[in-house]
Amino acid sequence: MRHVIAIAARELRSYFVSPIAYAALTTFSLLSGFFFSNMLTSYVRQASLADGQIERLGRSPLQLDVPTVVLAEFFKNEGFILLLVVPLLTMGLLTDERRKGTLELLLTSPVRPTELTLGKFLSAMTLVTAMFALTLPYYYFLAQGGEWEPGIVLAGYAGLMLLAAAEVSIGLFVSSLSENMLVSALGTYGVLVAFYFVDTSASATRSIWVDFIQFLSFHVHNAEFARGVVALHNITFFAGVMAMGLFLTQRSIEAIRFKRS
Amino acid sequence: MKATCQTAECWTRQNRVPIGIPPAVITVQHLTKRFGSHVAVNDLSFEVASGEVLGFLGPNGAGKTTTMRMVTGYLPPTSGSVSIDGHDLLSHPIDAKRRLGYLPENPPLYPELTIRQYLAFVADIKDVPRSRRRPAVDRAIGRANLGEVADRRIGTLSKGFKQRVGLAQAIVHEPAVLVLDEPTSSLDPKQRVEVRDLIVALRGEHTVVLSTHILPEVSQITDRVVIINRGRVIAVDSPDNLSQRLRGREEVTVEVGGATPAEVRQAVLSVAGVAGVLVEQAGSQVVTARVESALGTDVRGDVARALASRWQLLALRSESLSLEEIFLKLTGDADRPSPESPVPGPESRGGA
Repeated sequence: MRHVIAIAARELRSYFVSPIAYAALTTFSLLSGFFFSNMLTSYVRQASLADGQIERLGRSPLQLDVPTVVLAEFFKNEGFILLLVVPLLTMGLLTDERRKGTLELLLTSPVRPTELTLGKFLSAMTLVTAMFALTLPYYYFLAQGGEWEPGIVLAGYAGLMLLAAAEVSIGLFVSSLSENMLVSALGTYGVLVAFYFVDTSASATRSIWVDFIQFLSFHVHNAEFARGVVALHNITFFAGVMAMGLFLTQRSIEAIRFKRS
Repeated sequence: MKATCQTAECWTRQNRVPIGIPPAVITVQHLTKRFGSHVAVNDLSFEVASGEVLGFLGPNGAGKTTTMRMVTGYLPPTSGSVSIDGHDLLSHPIDAKRRLGYLPENPPLYPELTIRQYLAFVADIKDVPRSRRRPAVDRAIGRANLGEVADRRIGTLSKGFKQRVGLAQAIVHEPAVLVLDEPTSSLDPKQRVEVRDLIVALRGEHTVVLSTHILPEVSQITDRVVIINRGRVIAVDSPDNLSQRLRGREEVTVEVGGATPAEVRQAVLSVAGVAGVLVEQAGSQVVTARVESALGTDVRGDVARALASRWQLLALRSESLSLEEIFLKLTGDADRPSPESPVPGPESRGGA
């Protein structure tokens, strides 16, 4: 455990010494803030429209409440922003150790590949948590506007954290395959975008394949969390992807040593 | 005459001192590494005794780095075994690696950390107890003379300093075994001397294996040399013994004043044990002679007496092969497998 923490702490220090952490945090909060304020504005506009309708007609066709209109959209958007940011956070994790030759130090130390994998994972997840922490003030503004449900917010964050864990583990694995950061980043984008949008290729006709493709989609699973639904199959899906990514990373680290260099 | 030793067992057998031989800290047996059809290291065996400094010498591409990487557990061998301080590297890698300090060819540094942060991180992953981490880091900084720059970022340091940080990293956990891969190859002459002095200062505290293709370094630092070429050991011995063995005969050069070449030739040949002589007129009054005698015979005293009684003896010195010559001789011979061994064994050194 000491090794895991040492490796994670070293990585975090490097994140914050280099501009990567600041760029990621700034971009993430800018995009989050932009989407959040957009949604809030459109909610306020629709709410005043609904008020006018109720005043004139006595009822309104618009179903308006904060959880469905603002939160669900917000969490879905956060999932999308995460897709943009995660490959940039993970591209250096093992790629950089390989490029700098420091992997030789780590692998000739009494460190197990599993410890290295977990340490790297932990560092990226810590940074992701910090990014999400920057969105917490939004709920102060929501609370000013009236009713909102903490349960839905918690479900939304749980979904985002699980989504992030799955994406980071994939990014970590891809970063173990190359000594070039750009290749790592692009490779991770390739895999993550495919998994995120795979459901859009499913046609309207129902078949076992459509269900399967829907099942693979990160977006579909995250959307359920965003609606406030915490279902076991969604948790197992993300946890499974994460475990697979970490396992492949651990195997890949072992395999690097067999490579001729 | 026995051939040059190909293996550690052979060397140990031929050179064993019955009592007081220190136990081997590193034991490498039949180490082989294949990359596809290419054999990078072929059936390599050697032992390193406690406190010994072993030099690995060979041309580029001879398999030095591959060997270093297998000895440190970075590269898994195709076959063979490595044992560090009694712990098998393949079956108990964690125990073995705890006893190992390694400086790869390019020092494995994090440029964004300060030296102190970096060494603390290395201490953590090398299992230095937390309570002893600070003193261990301070000690490594002191040993590597990094005191003035300890809080500077590694990325801002010069190459010589970076190499010293690499050395500090290798010794921070006070390992029994230190493996250094070409520790001075990329440095300028001044930095090279500094790093070399540092390694000399570390001897005694650690058992050291270092690889190099810089020949003078070997005779200055190491107790024993393993010469490898094309993945095979072609000689194992101390630098002095290697030089003696390869010579095949003793050579003494004398300079004599006030004599003619013919007189010198006659005088030298009359000395018992002299096998041959090559005489030259070196100046108007000076004659030089290269006196040859059988290996193990020392004719210097007799030659000096024979000459000094009649003329002025200006100089007398034993010739020894330089490491460059040894190296070229050995690696040259390795290219064509010769049926008759040109290298005499060490037992012919007689009473040495």
